[in-house]
Amino acid sequence: MQLSTITDKVRNAERLTREEGLFLLTHGELLDLGECANIVRYRKNPDPRITFVVDTNPNYTNICNIDCIFCAFYRHSGEEGAYTHTVDEMIRKFKESAASGVTTILLQGGVNPALPFEYYVEMVERTVKEVPGVTPHFWSTSEIIGMAAVSGLTVPKVLQRLWDAGQRTIPGGGAEILSDRVKKKISHLKGSSADWLSVMREAHAIGFTSTATMMYGHLETNDDIVEHLESIRALQDEHHGFTAFVPWSFKPGNTPLEKIIPHYATPMRYLQMIAISRIYLDNFDHVQASWFSEGKKTGQIAVHFGADDFGGTLFEENVHAAANFVNKSNTEEVINLIRDAGFTPAQRSTTYEILRICEEPQAA
Amino acid sequence: MIEFRDTLLTPIWDKVRRGERLSLEDGIALYATGDLIGLGKMAHFVQQQKSGDAVYYVLNQKIEHTNICVLSCKFCDFAVKKGDADAYEMTTEDILSKLTPDIHEVHITGGMPADWPWERYLDIVRSIHERFPAIDVKAFTAVEIDFFHKKFKLSIEEVLRQLKAAGLRTMPGGGAEVFSERVRKLLFNQKIGAKAWFEVHTTAHRLGIPTNSTMLYGHIETIEERLIHMMKLREAQDETGGFLTFIPLAFQPGDTGIKPRDRFTSAIDDLKTIAVSRLMLDNFPHIKAYWVMLTEEVASVALHFGADDMDGTVGEERIAHDAGAVSPMKLAKDQIIKIIRDAGKIPVERDVYYNPLRISADNVIGKIPYLNSVPFYHAFEKRQFRILPVAPRRMGLLQEKDQIIAGPFSLMDYFRHEERLDLLEWCIATRDQVKSVMLFSNHGWADLDGKKIGITDDTATSVRLLQVLLEKKYQVKATFERLHAGINDLGGFDAVLLIGDEALRRNKFGLEGFEIIYDLAEEWYEWKKMPFVFAVWAASKSLTKETQMELNVAIERSLADAEGSYGAIGALHGRRIGLTQADVEAYLEGFNYRLGERERDAMKEFRKLVFELENVSIH
Repeated sequence: MQLSTITDKVRNAERLTREEGLFLLTHGELLDLGECANIVRYRKNPDPRITFVVDTNPNYTNICNIDCIFCAFYRHSGEEGAYTHTVDEMIRKFKESAASGVTTILLQGGVNPALPFEYYVEMVERTVKEVPGVTPHFWSTSEIIGMAAVSGLTVPKVLQRLWDAGQRTIPGGGAEILSDRVKKKISHLKGSSADWLSVMREAHAIGFTSTATMMYGHLETNDDIVEHLESIRALQDEHHGFTAFVPWSFKPGNTPLEKIIPHYATPMRYLQMIAISRIYLDNFDHVQASWFSEGKKTGQIAVHFGADDFGGTLFEENVHAAANFVNKSNTEEVINLIRDAGFTPAQRSTTYEILRICEEPQAA
Repeated sequence: MIEFRDTLLTPIWDKVRRGERLSLEDGIALYATGDLIGLGKMAHFVQQQKSGDAVYYVLNQKIEHTNICVLSCKFCDFAVKKGDADAYEMTTEDILSKLTPDIHEVHITGGMPADWPWERYLDIVRSIHERFPAIDVKAFTAVEIDFFHKKFKLSIEEVLRQLKAAGLRTMPGGGAEVFSERVRKLLFNQKIGAKAWFEVHTTAHRLGIPTNSTMLYGHIETIEERLIHMMKLREAQDETGGFLTFIPLAFQPGDTGIKPRDRFTSAIDDLKTIAVSRLMLDNFPHIKAYWVMLTEEVASVALHFGADDMDGTVGEERIAHDAGAVSPMKLAKDQIIKIIRDAGKIPVERDVYYNPLRISADNVIGKIPYLNSVPFYHAFEKRQFRILPVAPRRMGLLQEKDQIIAGPFSLMDYFRHEERLDLLEWCIATRDQVKSVMLFSNHGWADLDGKKIGITDDTATSVRLLQVLLEKKYQVKATFERLHAGINDLGGFDAVLLIGDEALRRNKFGLEGFEIIYDLAEEWYEWKKMPFVFAVWAASKSLTKETQMELNVAIERSLADAEGSYGAIGALHGRRIGLTQADVEAYLEGFNYRLGERERDAMKEFRKLVFELENVSIH
């Protein structure tokens, strides 16, 4: 196998095999990856534009019975610092957010068995009705499986109820690495790769769109990364339900995994992940640079390595904050970061429609 | 090759590939481009030519001996006045107590107090040098040297001579800011200007003190001013060759008296500045990604945009930290190593002259950093291998520690470690002349008896060839002394042995102070009618036969490709040595890279002669 044959395939818009993806990730120089990623990026999104979404990421509960060793956020029921908010409290929060310009609410929490299924349905219904300016982007796959468990319904039924309540998109978190070898070690109670994929498959079949994520930088190998990309590319071929792919690095601070993995994954590795996913996921429209989890400067570089989206403004974010990784920002700053990186910022909706293009400010 | 998104970069890339110097207009186009990847790939190409896959770091300790300063520069929030609550002054003992024997470099800069006597500075340097002989002292910016010169009424040369005698090895590059009178008047009016800065540095270079250089960017300077800054450094480097590295420093907005901009430089500006400097400063060996100011995020990516130097472990760094640099105070050695390895590069722990001391990577192949070795690597497909350029003698030392799996080892090193190595099919052998292993002398061979000969620090085999020629061919004996700090200070030597590109350049242009030039391979050929084998490719016996085979195939392919491209190699490499394309072609034609019977016989003959010599220590 030779690098030049793989890069030629990318130029000719041919699909890479798993072996080719692995070879490229293992032997490709960083800037060769970047060059290939840009070929795909500009083929799919020819404008020199980087989108962002004005969003917030509140949590309704931190009580969780899954015990993932990469998480610093969760508490057990009754433990100090454990909380669960009522639907009223959350709706009040959402209204405040909407008033400050938020269009997407990414709502996730722990998997709390004390909450009845009605809680979730009510949260969706009331959001749609009472906070019409925002899109509810609620519940990870683990929470959806949790709802099936408390309600005794099947996952498709749970999803249908949420759809009927007005929900149209779901976040792609909880995928971690879709390799059962790795999953068993880091989140043995969270379900297998097949669980995440089957919830997503059911959701896409109903008509939901979602993102797909990947959390790397712990126990995975390059082979696991490519396995992950292969799984979601294959699923995307079925319903085209994924809007974007979002990789982020594991943050070991305050987690049990910290003892095994003392160092944060480097920005280099992040750029490789952005680029290889942009190249490999030929059926995805967008790849998101997660500046809030990787750092602003890394985010600025990542948009030159194939990413065309800068993620959200994240007015509230607790999970990374719990791992001592805090990156405060706001809309104005996100716009400046994108401009300084050499692109035109554009605000988008949850489902990647352009809402407004932020043209260069007129010179005074 | 490179697929540019910005076609304005194409003519610049053509110049880079031909080894041509870039103009101010080229620099402006590079800064203006939106094609960050295209820019980076050009800079990475140059980086690979200069340092292969190596990224250097040093185990160092920063000392700021005092924060009391007679100047009050607007951009500095480090300096205080004597009597201020947070003023401090370190004694020589305080400084010594901060040092440990495991570090290799101490970096000393600080404020400029009105009442310290000259002897106090000399005492600091001397005491460190005496107490910790393995720690190299890098001390005092040009601003401080100029201050000593004025305050103690000594010429700049005298200040530097005395510091060198006390143990000073190199100097940091601070105080350059931006070489623009406009900016200096607005921001740094108390600091020395470009003229004084260059006077200090070029004087140091002539005394055999290599130095660093810096540029503070991201405040009020224009892109053109940045580029002119680089071009002035490039011009000075043409004259002295004494700059080791260039360090772009991103301005830190903070509590300083000036507010030229309220934001940190963007990551894109940082990477562009690294890449543009790598491309503009064609005669600089190294470009440093100084993580303390650049942030760890950008510094690690910069290793693919032209930077081959990660600074060091840095014990204390008050100046940048007081102004709000976001990097952690101390980046541990293993984190530096991890960053470099994740970048696919070789972490190379270095000494003050960038000699490799220890490398932390597998599958490393040595590369002799001379023109005559280029054909081996010209079209070498690396795959799992990583390439480390290292002078012949140092390559042998690394092989001894099992840090290099294969390479063109100096013949003497192969003899010494034969039992651990498998010979491959390649060598660096001359036909008659070599043109790059040269003795520059003031005496004929017969008159060198009892004379002192300076020997380049890089050689393992040429020095023994010289000894064989002296003792066996001409029946004379001379004494040898290593030139550890280059060839700027050659007073006291009757002859000098140089090898590699420096010898090639001096063979063409002469070496001041020496009238006769001898080509050692030619001397050998006239005597023995045999080729001379300077190096042989060998691989560690621990390598599998399969890997050895892969390596042989990769070298074979590269040589075959190179043999049709001596013209292109000449275009890329000739200019920096001062050779025409035709010179390079003729030079490379003079080598035989395949180890045949004649070469093996020549090796045998040399081995017999060299082991008859009494071993003379020259370390």
